[in-house]
Amino acid sequence: MFVASRIAIAVSIIILIFIPQFASNYVIYVVILAMLFAILTASYDLLTGYTGPLSFCHAAFYGLGAYTSALLTLRTGMSFWQAFPITGIWVFLFAAAVGYPALKIRGHYFAVTTFFFGHFVYLFLLNSRKLTNGPLGLRGIRPPDSILGIDFSSITASYYLVLFFGVLIVGFLHLLVKSRIGRSLVSIRENEDLAESIGINTSFYKVLAFSISAGLAGLAGSLFAHFFRFLHPTDFAWMISEMIVIMALVGGLGTLFGPIIGAGVVKFFLELVRPAPELRFILLSIMLILVLLFEPKGLVGIIRRIRGEK
Amino acid sequence: MDTLLLQIGNGLIIGSIYALVALGINVIWSIADVPDFSQGAIFVVSAYISYFAVTLAKIPYVLALVLGMCVGSFMAFIFERFLYRRWRGAGRVQLLCAIALFFLWTNVVNALWTAKAKMFPAYLKGSMFGFSYMRIAVVVVAAILFVLVYLFIMKTKIGKAIRAASQESEAAQVLGININTVNSVVFMLGGALSGAAGVLVSPLYAIFPTMGDLPLLKALVVVILGGFGTVGGVLICGLGLGVLETLGAGYLSSAYQHGYAFVILIIVLTFLPKGLFGKV
Amino acid sequence: MTEEGFKKVLEVRQLRKHFGGVAALSDVDLDVFESEILGIIGPNGAGKTTLFNIIAGFFPPTSGTVMCRGEELTGLRADQIARKGIGRTFQASTLFSQFTVFDNVFNAFHMHYKQPPWKALLHTSAVREEERTMKQKAMELLDFTGLASQKDKLAENLSSGYQKILTISIALATNPKILLLDEPVTTLSPQMVETVMGLVTKVRDTGTTVLIIEHNMKAIMDYCDRIVVLAYGEKIAEGLPREIGENREVVEAYLGVMG
Repeated sequence: MFVASRIAIAVSIIILIFIPQFASNYVIYVVILAMLFAILTASYDLLTGYTGPLSFCHAAFYGLGAYTSALLTLRTGMSFWQAFPITGIWVFLFAAAVGYPALKIRGHYFAVTTFFFGHFVYLFLLNSRKLTNGPLGLRGIRPPDSILGIDFSSITASYYLVLFFGVLIVGFLHLLVKSRIGRSLVSIRENEDLAESIGINTSFYKVLAFSISAGLAGLAGSLFAHFFRFLHPTDFAWMISEMIVIMALVGGLGTLFGPIIGAGVVKFFLELVRPAPELRFILLSIMLILVLLFEPKGLVGIIRRIRGEK
Repeated sequence: MDTLLLQIGNGLIIGSIYALVALGINVIWSIADVPDFSQGAIFVVSAYISYFAVTLAKIPYVLALVLGMCVGSFMAFIFERFLYRRWRGAGRVQLLCAIALFFLWTNVVNALWTAKAKMFPAYLKGSMFGFSYMRIAVVVVAAILFVLVYLFIMKTKIGKAIRAASQESEAAQVLGININTVNSVVFMLGGALSGAAGVLVSPLYAIFPTMGDLPLLKALVVVILGGFGTVGGVLICGLGLGVLETLGAGYLSSAYQHGYAFVILIIVLTFLPKGLFGKV
Repeated sequence: MTEEGFKKVLEVRQLRKHFGGVAALSDVDLDVFESEILGIIGPNGAGKTTLFNIIAGFFPPTSGTVMCRGEELTGLRADQIARKGIGRTFQASTLFSQFTVFDNVFNAFHMHYKQPPWKALLHTSAVREEERTMKQKAMELLDFTGLASQKDKLAENLSSGYQKILTISIALATNPKILLLDEPVTTLSPQMVETVMGLVTKVRDTGTTVLIIEHNMKAIMDYCDRIVVLAYGEKIAEGLPREIGENREVVEAYLGVMG
């Protein structure tokens, strides 16, 4: 089983490396967005899949990251390479400050509170015209400065940049969930009282998972900002949070690679209905209800069943 | 001074809409343990259907209100019977399903009738003390519905079963009432209230696919602030939020009118994790 | 066992807990001595589990204190109290039901790791070495509690007796000086009761103090060194099993009711 998974991962990375060599710009563009969403769903999985609390505000951290990085470069003249890590740390700290009181609330209350928080961030981005330019959107964001002679204004270079950080972030998450920190997180998901009784500081680990998950979403936001170079609040509205939840569930929560596959599959379906954009979210919600009805463990659950595993 | 009174009045009007949606969500949450986001969809669909009934079939507004309540009841009944009921006890799945339904119907409405706002024709002309009759009607109808729900919950046998089941899910069976029946009834009650709220608010603003988002969010805030309180607790929290929000918009900043609810929620939950009227 | 000459490990003073208007515990005093098995009995709703929850830090008392070897425990979080050497089990067999038996116990070694977490992230050789040691310790513990043959089963697939033993094994993995067991043999067959209580005795003999809440009177009478009786949130009696069996008030208030 291990061998098969490792081969699958290696093959996927090789295919991703070679896509820009033969694909059209449109395909490259779609794959970049899919990879950004894969970072989002993988980081979302750390909180909701591994640790347990159901969150509906992941796109808010994505948006905070995007706007923070864009504004840092626009207003202070910082380069992307400086703004990128600062953005990650800032969103991490911000999430820790929000998560500390919010995660004391258990169950549905937390889920509903994240929903409000997501909406609140969206309203903030929309209404703080002086800072974010509100509904007109933020323009003129520069691509990352060239390093090692690579010019990041080309779509191919952006592609490899996102791929590089995507692999790095997913690798980090993989190491994290396989470590004893990951085991503590899963213990909390399985039984919070029992986890406490064996000495796990559950509120600390929950805030840690929330903040890391948010910080990584912030990094995805920074990548998006300097690739797309135009930001609008609706890119980070609650529908986008909802999309991340659906992608992660379609793939299979708590498996790390499931949500990544989910991001790819859902993005692919969304491209199929591109001519009728109003059908996109209808398709997404039906997909979610079908997953809940027939395979709550998502695509990973289906794969495991086919292979006869539990 | 007059502006202040006017603002408080408008706050009470919008607050009674929040309270209506919140009342249904509150009862559903305490019985079925799910924050029923699909009430947001019911709000929108009922508003659209009664709009078409008034503009195309030319039925009187009062009938449109009843129609909206029936549509809401029916939708909630179907959602509970065929979806939520499968996952009783699995709150996480129910919540995801509720959000999926909200998302689905908002977008179905958008696909069917476009995002363009529709104007509900005025059904009453004239005003009193600076408030149009249509605004006053919102408060009056909301008050009547509150009294009816209160009587229903306090005086009928099924109401007694609902109160018992909200304390202990098996308690209703002692009264000889099936827990499935209690669930169906509370969802239908919630649906009717959300449907009524949707139809009541339509003539004041406009009808558009995302018109349910804010009332839904505010109603959820009200429910949490009320801490599964009584009918009265929901009413006070709903009206209070409406007034605070309108005053905030008038005297602080209107840009954040819809953010105040969140701020209040965080402050209250930080200090009173069980809400304002929460039982221990 | 008499009170003289034994070291006090746990002192509960004037402990009181109100839920709303209802008093679950009122002014309970309790002394627990090193290496004893102390049985806590009483009718349902007597406040037994509430007492455990307060000692283990799952909720704070309304008033009163809990001291462990001269150190105040009240006000600490549950995980901090676990680190002070107080292990516990829960009434319903609470375990990580989706984990294997081995992983349940391996996981419970959480607080014994010395390598810093960020090194754990890098999976350095010292970290892998430490994990190997913990796995070994987990295996030794399973041998001690008699679960070694079940180690690869999912916890939820175990028989109820083995589940009870697993909950005790999880608590033992935290290396407690005081172990709180909430109904460890309720619903078990007489044979399994002997096995579990035999394990409890073995644990006591390693120097661990054990507090047991239990309704099975035979287990309590046969295995406890001392017994405390709670009723309606108050301590109504304490003494040796023989004394408790002869105490008229207890028999009337509690045993009589039980038949």
